Amino acid sequence: MVDVTLRIRRYNPEDTQNRKPYWQEFSLKDCHPSDRVLDMLHRVKWEQDGTLALRRSCAHGVCGSDAMRINGRNMLACKALIRDLFSPVPDSVKIQVEPILGLPVLKDLIVDMEPFFAHYREVMPYFINDDPLPANGRERFQTQEDRERFDDTTKCILCACCTTACPSFWANGQYVGPAAIVQAHRFIFDSRDKATAERLAILAEPNGVWRCRTIFNCTPACPREIEVTRAIGEVKLAIQRGTTEGIIKVTEIKEVVSNS
Amino acid sequence: MNSLVLTLTEALRYRGGIGQWSWILHRVSGLGVVLFLTLHVIDTSWAVFYPGLYEEAIAAYQSPLFTLGEFALVACVVYHAYNGIRIVIFDFQPRWWKHQQRAAFAVLGLTAVTLVPVFALMLIEVIDHYGHSPFVLGLDRVLLAQAPFAVGIVVAIIGAVLLSGLVGLVTGGGEAGGRAGSKFERFWWSFMRVSGVLILPLVFGHLVLMHVVQGVFALTEAGSTIIGTRGLLNVSGTATEFVLARWNTSLAGPTAGVGLWKLYDIGLLLLVTVHGFNGLRYVLTDYTTDKPMLRRAATYLTLIAGVVLLVVGGAALLAGIEPTALDMACHAQEELGKTLSEFCQARIGG
Ligand code: HEM
Ligand code: HEM
Ligand code: SF4
Ligand code: SF4
Ligand code: FES
Repeated sequence: MVDVTLRIRRYNPEDTQNRKPYWQEFSLKDCHPSDRVLDMLHRVKWEQDGTLALRRSCAHGVCGSDAMRINGRNMLACKALIRDLFSPVPDSVKIQVEPILGLPVLKDLIVDMEPFFAHYREVMPYFINDDPLPANGRERFQTQEDRERFDDTTKCILCACCTTACPSFWANGQYVGPAAIVQAHRFIFDSRDKATAERLAILAEPNGVWRCRTIFNCTPACPREIEVTRAIGEVKLAIQRGTTEGIIKVTEIKEVVSNS
Repeated sequence: MNSLVLTLTEALRYRGGIGQWSWILHRVSGLGVVLFLTLHVIDTSWAVFYPGLYEEAIAAYQSPLFTLGEFALVACVVYHAYNGIRIVIFDFQPRWWKHQQRAAFAVLGLTAVTLVPVFALMLIEVIDHYGHSPFVLGLDRVLLAQAPFAVGIVVAIIGAVLLSGLVGLVTGGGEAGGRAGSKFERFWWSFMRVSGVLILPLVFGHLVLMHVVQGVFALTEAGSTIIGTRGLLNVSGTATEFVLARWNTSLAGPTAGVGLWKLYDIGLLLLVTVHGFNGLRYVLTDYTTDKPMLRRAATYLTLIAGVVLLVVGGAALLAGIEPTALDMACHAQEELGKTLSEFCQARIGG
C-alpha cells in the first residue's frame, strides 16, 4: 500500500479571494500501486473536496478527455498508474497534477479545448471522395498495403497530449499542432481519399507543418503510441515532393510493428 | 511577450525528452551566432572602408572579453552545426524516429569530442599570447567600440516597428507577405536545410583557419605567415594586411585571377546571412503570433538587417583593399598604443 500526496494546480475564476492559480495538496492513504491517477482524483473529489473540477468520461483510455500534466509530462489520468510513475514504488509518493499547457484554463484541470478542435477542423478531418460508387454499389476497396500506410494515425483519440506538449505550440497557438497533422495524415495517405492536394496546401501554410521544429516532445506524450513526429515528417515530405507516392514503404512499417 | 515568458518558464517545467533541450540549445546557439555575425561582417568591411577601425576591432577581438566570447562562439557553432545535421536527417528520414534520442545524445557527445581538442588548442594560443606581455585593449575601449552596434540594433528595431505600424495604418493590418503563404514557408524550410548542410564545411573551415591553426592573435603578428596565402608574410603586422593578402590570393597564384578567399567569403557571407536572419525571423515570429504589428515588424527587421549585411559585406568583398590602407592601419595601431612593426614605423616616420 502506498500513501500518496496529490499536489493539484487549482484555479477557480469565480473565487474572489484566489484569482490566481495555486497549488493544493491532498493526502490519500492506502493507495494501491495499480491505482490510476484518475482513481486518486476521484477519491479527492468524492471524499475530500467536491469542488475539484476535471474532465473524464470513459475512464479507459478511449475517449481522450482526461489529458493532464502528471509529474511534468502529458498523460491520460486514466492510463497513468502509480507503478508506471515510480519503479520501484516507495511507501509514500508525491504526484503533481496540472492542466495541459497552451490552452486557456477554465477551472482546475479543465481547459478550453476549442482552439485545439478549431485546428482539427482546419485540416478537413473527414473522408472526401465524390467519385461515383463502385459498380456493385458497396465499399471502395483498398489493398492491405494501402490500408497499412495510415494504420498508425487512425488510432488518434484527440486527447491533445501531443499538441499541448509541443514547445512550438506553446510559443505559437496558431500552429495547427501535431494532433491536427496526425489527423490529416490519416486521410492524406489513404488511397481512397481524394482531397490530398487541398490538405497538403492547408498544411503548407505558415502555421502548418513548417512550425514543427522536430523537437519530439509529442511522440512520447501520445497515449496511443502513435509515431507522431514521424507522421509529421511524412506530411512535410509529401508537401515538398508534391506527392504521397514512395514516402511510406509498407515493408518498413511491418518491420517496426514486429520488432516492437 | 506573454507566450515568450510562458515558453521559457514552462519549457523548464515540462519534463520533455532531450529533444526539448536540443531545441532550446539550437535556438540559443543560432541566435548567439547571428549576433556575432552582425558585428563581424560590419567589422570586416572596415578593413576596406575604415582600416583604422578594423585595427581597433581586431584589438577588441584580442581582448579578454572577446576571448571568452570566442570560446562560447565556437561551442555555439559546433553544437548548432551537428544538431542541425541531426534535424535534417530526421526531417528527410522520418521513419528513423526511434533513434532520435540516441541521436540527440550523440550530438552532445560529438560536440564535446570536437570541443575538447579545439578548446585545448585555443587555450594554448591564449596562454602563449599572454606569456609575451602583449598589448591589451582596455575594457572601456572595447565596450565603447561596441556601442555603435548596440545603437544600430536599437535603431533598426525601432525603425522596423515604426515601419510596421505605418504599413498597418495604410493596409489595415495583417501578416507580412499576405497569403503568399504556402510556397514561401516551403521554400524557407528547404533553404534552411540545404544551406545548413553547405554552411557546415564553410564555417568549420573558416573557424579552423582563424582559430585552431592560427588564432585571432596571429592576425596582427608582424612577420608571421598569413594562412592560406602560400606563404606570404604579414610584413606590417596589421590585421588589414592579413585580410588584404588573403583576398588577393587566387587559385592561379598569389596575386592573379579571382581571389580564392574572396569566393570563399562570398559563399560564406551569402549562406550564413540568409540562413541566420531567416532563423531569427522564425524565432521572432514564433513569439509574436498574438501581435500582428510586432510580427510584421519582425519580418521587416530580419529582412532589412539581412540585406544591409549582405550589401555591406558584399561591397567590401567586391571593392577589395587598397595598399594605401596599410598606412591608415599603421596610424591606427599607433593611436591605440601598440608596439609598431618596423614596416609601420617606416611608413609613419616617412
Ligand atoms: C572569432 C572567430 C572568427 C575570426 C577571428 C574570424 C576572422 C575573419 C577574418 C579575418 C575575415 C576576413 C576575411 C578573410 O580573411 O577571409 C573574416 C571574414 C568573414 N567571416 Fe569570420 N571569423 C570568425 C568567425 C566567424 C564565424 C563564426 C562566421 C559565421 C557565422 C564568420 C563569417 C565570416 C564572413 C561571412 C566573412 C566575410 C565578411 C565580408 O564579406 O566582409 N566568421 N572572418
Ligand atoms: C554550421 C552549419 C549549420 C547547420 C547544419 C544549420 C542547420 C540549421 C537547421 C536544420 C535549422 C532548423 C530550421 C528549422 O527548424 O526549420 C537551423 C536554424 C537556425 N540556424 Fe542554423 N545551421 C548552421 C549554421 C548556422 C549559423 C552559422 C547561424 C548563424 C548565423 C545559424 C542560425 C540559425 C538560427 C537563428 C536558426 C533558427 C533557430 C530556431 O528556429 O529555433 N545557423 N539551422
Ligand atoms: S516534433 Fe514537432 S509537433 Fe512534435 S513536439 Fe516537436 S515541434 Fe511539436
Ligand atoms: S496523436 Fe496521440 S497524443 Fe495526439 S491527440 Fe491523438 S491520441 Fe492524443
Ligand atoms: S477518461 Fe476517457 S481517455 Fe481517460
